[in-house]
Amino acid sequence: MTRKEVFNGVQDIFRDIFDEDDMVIEDKTNSDDVEEWDSLNHINLVSAIEKEFKIKFALVELMTLKDVGAMVDLMMEKLK
Amino acid sequence: MNSYKFDDISVGLEEHFSVKVDADKLDKFLEISGDTNPLHTDSKYSKSKGFVDRVAYGMLTSSFYSTLVGVYLPGKYCILQSIDIQFSKPVYIEDKLKISGKVTYINESYKQLEIKATIANQENKKVSKATIKVGVMGE
Repeated sequence: MTRKEVFNGVQDIFRDIFDEDDMVIEDKTNSDDVEEWDSLNHINLVSAIEKEFKIKFALVELMTLKDVGAMVDLMMEKLK
Repeated sequence: MNSYKFDDISVGLEEHFSVKVDADKLDKFLEISGDTNPLHTDSKYSKSKGFVDRVAYGMLTSSFYSTLVGVYLPGKYCILQSIDIQFSKPVYIEDKLKISGKVTYINESYKQLEIKATIANQENKKVSKATIKVGVMGE
């Protein structure tokens, strides 16, 4: 998968989790930019990404992520 | 009460229990919720709308999903995080319900389980289904 395909898949997951069909995220988007991005929705995001892309994250990996772009970069590493 | 710890749990783990719905349960739910809709309180009205008798509250039967995760799967260390329920058939007084749940996904990073659950009546007809997300706390 290309990075753009992965990013678009992540955006679809954000739209589903946050119930916003026209939500647009960017590489620099983080939890400060999305009002409902609380701890429970963060877990929901991670679970949805793991299930959709058939990958698993370790807690230590997730703790270092600063924004959506870093998440997508980590996903690209796992999808190689 | 079961006391499954996170490391004891794997995808496919199942639990179930049974419960009978009686008039007392409806009366107590009415008292707690204040839901006076005649579909649940007036047999004549319910029959006029095509039901067999007054209908048990959907949220009363759904409370058994709370019991499923809080007492059986995973039990003691459960913390309920979300529940998505769909109702498919009415439940009546004297129905005997079987509540079943199965772990379908585990988020290992955050110790969260996804449980697919169903409630079936004494005729083995599914009356509702739910997707439940629970956290598993440490001891």
